[in-house]
Amino acid sequence: MDTPPQVDPAEQFGVVVARRLGFGFWIAAAWIIIIVAAAALAPWLPIADPNETGVGGRMDGPGWSNWFGTDNNGRDMFARTIWGARVSLIVGFFSVLLGICVGGTLGMVAGYFRGIVDRIISFSVFVLLAYPGLVLALLIVGLAGQTLPIVAMTLGIVAIAPIARLSRATTLAYSEREFVAAARVLGATDRRIMVRELLPNVLIPMGALTLLGMAITIVAEGGLAFLGLSVEEGFSWGKMIVLGSSPRTLREGPWVAMFPIGAMFVTVLALNFAGDRLREYFDVRELGIGAA
Amino acid sequence: MIVLARRLAQLVAVVLAVTFLAFTAMNTLGDPLFNVVGFVAAVDCDAVEAGEIEDISGQGGTTLGDCAVVAEAREEFHLNEPLPIRYGRWVGDLIRGDFGTSFKNRMPVSTVLADRLPKSLLLMGMAEVFAVALSVPWAIAAAYRANRAMDRASTIGAFGMLALPNFALGVILFYFFVVKWQIFPSRFEDDNLALRLKSLVLPALTLGMPLAATYFRLLRTDLITTLQEDFVVMAKAKGLSNRWIMFRHALRPSLFSMVTVFGLNTAALIGGALIVEQVFSIPGLGRALVEASIRDDYPVVLGATVVIATGFVIINFAVDLAYSYLDPRVRRES
Amino acid sequence: MATPLLSVTDLQVGFATERGLLRAVDGVSFDLAEGQTLGIVGESGSGKSVTAKTLMNLLPSYARVEGSVMFDGRDVRAMAAERERHFWGVEMTMVFQDPMTSLNPVKKVGEQIAESLRVHLKRSRREARDDAGDLLQQVGIPESKKRLTQYPHELSGGLRQRVVIAMALACSPRLLIADEPTTALDVTVQKHILDLLDELREERGMAMILITHDLGVVKGRADQIMVMYAGRTMEQADTATLFSEMRHPYTEALLETIPRVDMASHSRLVPIPGSPPDAVDLGQGCPFAERCRYCSASCLIDQPSLEQHRQGHACACHAPVGTDAGAAAHAANHETGVTPAGLDMGTFATAVGEKT
Repeated sequence: MDTPPQVDPAEQFGVVVARRLGFGFWIAAAWIIIIVAAAALAPWLPIADPNETGVGGRMDGPGWSNWFGTDNNGRDMFARTIWGARVSLIVGFFSVLLGICVGGTLGMVAGYFRGIVDRIISFSVFVLLAYPGLVLALLIVGLAGQTLPIVAMTLGIVAIAPIARLSRATTLAYSEREFVAAARVLGATDRRIMVRELLPNVLIPMGALTLLGMAITIVAEGGLAFLGLSVEEGFSWGKMIVLGSSPRTLREGPWVAMFPIGAMFVTVLALNFAGDRLREYFDVRELGIGAA
Repeated sequence: MIVLARRLAQLVAVVLAVTFLAFTAMNTLGDPLFNVVGFVAAVDCDAVEAGEIEDISGQGGTTLGDCAVVAEAREEFHLNEPLPIRYGRWVGDLIRGDFGTSFKNRMPVSTVLADRLPKSLLLMGMAEVFAVALSVPWAIAAAYRANRAMDRASTIGAFGMLALPNFALGVILFYFFVVKWQIFPSRFEDDNLALRLKSLVLPALTLGMPLAATYFRLLRTDLITTLQEDFVVMAKAKGLSNRWIMFRHALRPSLFSMVTVFGLNTAALIGGALIVEQVFSIPGLGRALVEASIRDDYPVVLGATVVIATGFVIINFAVDLAYSYLDPRVRRES
Repeated sequence: MATPLLSVTDLQVGFATERGLLRAVDGVSFDLAEGQTLGIVGESGSGKSVTAKTLMNLLPSYARVEGSVMFDGRDVRAMAAERERHFWGVEMTMVFQDPMTSLNPVKKVGEQIAESLRVHLKRSRREARDDAGDLLQQVGIPESKKRLTQYPHELSGGLRQRVVIAMALACSPRLLIADEPTTALDVTVQKHILDLLDELREERGMAMILITHDLGVVKGRADQIMVMYAGRTMEQADTATLFSEMRHPYTEALLETIPRVDMASHSRLVPIPGSPPDAVDLGQGCPFAERCRYCSASCLIDQPSLEQHRQGHACACHAPVGTDAGAAAHAANHETGVTPAGLDMGTFATAVGEKT
């Protein structure tokens, strides 16, 4: 067979291979840092009080005094958008954390020990997966209450099943490899193997998944809030959107809904993009396969 | 055949587990008594017995006092019996079609479900039809022009579409097509099929566009990969036209990922339907579930949840079967 | 000679790459008469497959082609530009190296054979199916009815290659190109497939181009042979002449790499030292100079052109084997122990029968 020509395969085949993280990644990362910082530092930032009415006129459009305009109670939209980030981001982060800790462990245990342990765990995960995410969240929150910890935990529980499945698949793939057999021959206990050998390798795809997971949970919390089933105290972007989307408000002042929509869109886009890039980056190096 | 029977048995086991989960949740989270009888449970029966407070009778349309209602409910719902037995009775009721009674208006839950379910199914069906009708031609066109302007723009567009939550997309579409340009009705119109379909166009689009974006990405990538396979070169060597090759050789093997996701996406579809029904005021099953959830109307919540989860499991099962039909290699093994 | 069926003149194929123009084929010419077999021999990267792909209009869009290709008086390149629909797959067909990947895994074998018949010859479904069954029989596959409904993964490698051949023969082509048709097969199966190709060629009066890296494959089966290296023709002659009077050092080296039955046991295999050159950066002289034991100073600077030694035998070399120039160069190198290209003469192993 002839040598294939020295054309850059990525160019020829149209598949994007990220051998470096790329310019876009850093832009996305920058946005994420900005929004997280803004949300964390909100109480100390020189912005209006988000709950104070009458800061501007009623339903003022975006302008110099109120960058994002005001809502139908005269509250400053810019401040509200920043404060709304707090709930969204907190719920997003902690639920993913819970999902990874519990789901990741369950998956690893199932993938490593196999046999009856695997069957039980896999079956339970399958049953959990039988509930469409939002429905499960609705069921739990509806029954257990609408406080911040419960909402975060609920979304975490919803995240457990898909994460466990991924963790199990990764563990299965790695435990076939020689370095695990080698460790076992050297007399390492199961626990040691799992923690020292498997865990670091399983954590890598999962770590890249954290950002993607956060994007999903932020949207999920937004959905819950839109339905009126998120935290009762305080507000998140989802709640702001539902408040701003009655036909009348949309007619008089579409910015009330559009700014939180925009904020959520950009944040989710940034998380998706950065997470995707990370995943490709680690995929190429770790597994040695690349689209190249 | 044996395989089929085994998978059916699996199906039944999963459905049982799914309903058990819901039932257990309802009877352990919050106050089980409340979950069964509603606000009546708030009454402090000990105090009533001691004569400290009056028993406000007539709640919920009965002539009995509240405490009597509560006591009766305890008996009727066997709240004193252990959980597994109550579960068994409950499943028995379910099979007979008795889903309990709604707190809100004392209607049987099964009536509510029967009324709402068809609209949701119609909505989801339309959404999938839109999604497939949009994504397949789009993916074929993009794969044909791989990595040129149209393809690159499409990939970015699809990516962006997926970042927009469906409630946001719904609000945006609602704003433009209902509020501003007034093309579509602002509420669900039920008079005849045509009006019903018209009312569902925007909601189905809202649900379907993100799905289309996902299908597009998968199909396009798989098509591009398949088009590089050796058998495509062989087909070209046979002098077959590009169109023939695309539709008769490349398309079918490339559909696998999309079909797999089809089943998985049903979860997103159902969740999305909940939200979309809210945005566009469609009286579907999702909206019933949400409203019942807010009003703490637990029989409806439980009934709707069980129907949804069971339906989901069955759909996945059907998709699995379809998958093994599409790929003859898998068929041999199964 | 009557008008040849296929006439290739000064074919040049280049690929535009980041590093420059990659010359995959650089000035190849040959004629092939009706019913004859041409063997194209060379290592990986010699340009033999690209030549075949050019004839078959299978090149990617970033390829640049010059030169002329005439089939029975028709301009093949013009037909490609005009997107002629019923030439390839009908008059000229091709069989590839790996039968497993040449077949669509999710389509039945019978369907794939019938395809050409339906598209090009407009046969009906039933007619095409019957014809496909006949074709399977002709390529020596028993139980043809059953085989028609099977999938590629249900057949063995040898059977698959027969199916691919049947596919190629469906519309009775006048030229069949076989690119390494046996490389992916077991040794025992290889001979059967090559014999099958010979048979079919005779029965149908079909011309054939047999592409391989193995001179042994073409020895008994080709009427003329073309040896390629780095995109250029090194030697071109009819088979008998090539083997009895070979002139190019590369041809000689290739012949020596073939293990022979009469070698003493435990004698070493004779490889060609070095590796094929980078096709983008070929430099000035003869592309084989670095690996050639007859290399002289002029070989490094001056690219030898293809010269007719006598009727029907051409060679591109400054110091061909069996000439005075060649002998002198060889002796000189032997003396110094090193060729002008820096190759140590000791790397040319001393197997039995070797002439150092």
